Amino acid sequence: MREALVSLVTALADDELIIGHRHSEWTGFAPHIEEDVAFSSIAQDEIGHAAAYYSLIAEATGASPDRMALGRQPDDYRHAVLCERPNGDWSYSLVRHWLYDTADDVRLEALQESADAGLAALAVKMRREERYHLLHANAWIKRVAEGPIEGRTRLIDALGKCYPEALALFDSLELEDSIVDNDLLPCSSSELRARFAQRATSELDDFGLPADIHRDLDNSAEFLASSSGDLIASEQEALTTSSRSGIGGRAGKHSDDFKPLWDEMTSTHRLHPDAHW
Amino acid sequence: MEVYEIFRRSGHKSPFEHCGAVIAPDPEMALLLGKECFLRRREGEHLWAVRRSDIHALEDESVLEIAADKSYRFASDYRDVVQKRKAARHRVSSISSGAPA
Repeated sequence: MREALVSLVTALADDELIIGHRHSEWTGFAPHIEEDVAFSSIAQDEIGHAAAYYSLIAEATGASPDRMALGRQPDDYRHAVLCERPNGDWSYSLVRHWLYDTADDVRLEALQESADAGLAALAVKMRREERYHLLHANAWIKRVAEGPIEGRTRLIDALGKCYPEALALFDSLELEDSIVDNDLLPCSSSELRARFAQRATSELDDFGLPADIHRDLDNSAEFLASSSGDLIASEQEALTTSSRSGIGGRAGKHSDDFKPLWDEMTSTHRLHPDAHW
Repeated sequence: MEVYEIFRRSGHKSPFEHCGAVIAPDPEMALLLGKECFLRRREGEHLWAVRRSDIHALEDESVLEIAADKSYRFASDYRDVVQKRKAARHRVSSISSGAPA
């Protein structure tokens, strides 16, 4: 039971830490000063959530939260590959922010009912802060989607890259059976993925954006028309295709994009492992 | 994009106070950005965004200048009244207690 809790919370914590790190790379570079402050603040929130999750692990195992965050080898991290991808342009970061925070909301909603009281209480608290993240992401996507064609095109390109990898946020966790049987997570990861896919698809449809256009799906993939007339791949195809990219993060198999991030993120800690701030 | 002036209040009964400005495309975005720029450390419990172009300003600030002596409009000018009142109260209490005036 303890191992199951640690497996679940490590995946949650690593997601927040790594996407928070990527978000923080916009500090000083966001499109305008107000957004620079806002996005940096969101990055800090995510890293703060990671710290809270690591502290929860510390209560169960005695491991130091700092060592959890910065003292592990790259293949010990359990975040989804989506979180480690470099930012590229603003539209990519925006779409990832929207998909990630939508997925996180689905996940936190379920975690509020976790059998682990500490985790359930934390989920309730975090969801309050994540509400703002969602408002922020939705406000941006809506405006860019309704704006000039260039912004819309960039959003669609970014969705093509991010959406399949966002589905991998809900790949099975290590000790998944034990996590679900003990109600640490009250339903399976694949059930959460279905909820996320349904919600994301319907909201993208409201934005007038196509959901589920996978550039990496083979041409034989079956496409369906959404209510807006855009083509979407059938959900079954999206969930089962072997060509899905960005998988493996939950098993510690990361892309080549992670090592440079890890090098930078952990460099100070590796030089001075016992330093105190 | 337009300039929005941001106001916040620190408590339920406090007045809204100006705390800065953001550039935003519309009111909703101004509120979202204003929150992160000026209230992310819980500096307030409520937030207003007002389009700067909706604010009416005096055209001539010199109308605020005070030409003649207006000391009677300031409480500080009546400080000796406090002393007088204290003395009067003292007199009254000594009368009612029956002590010789």
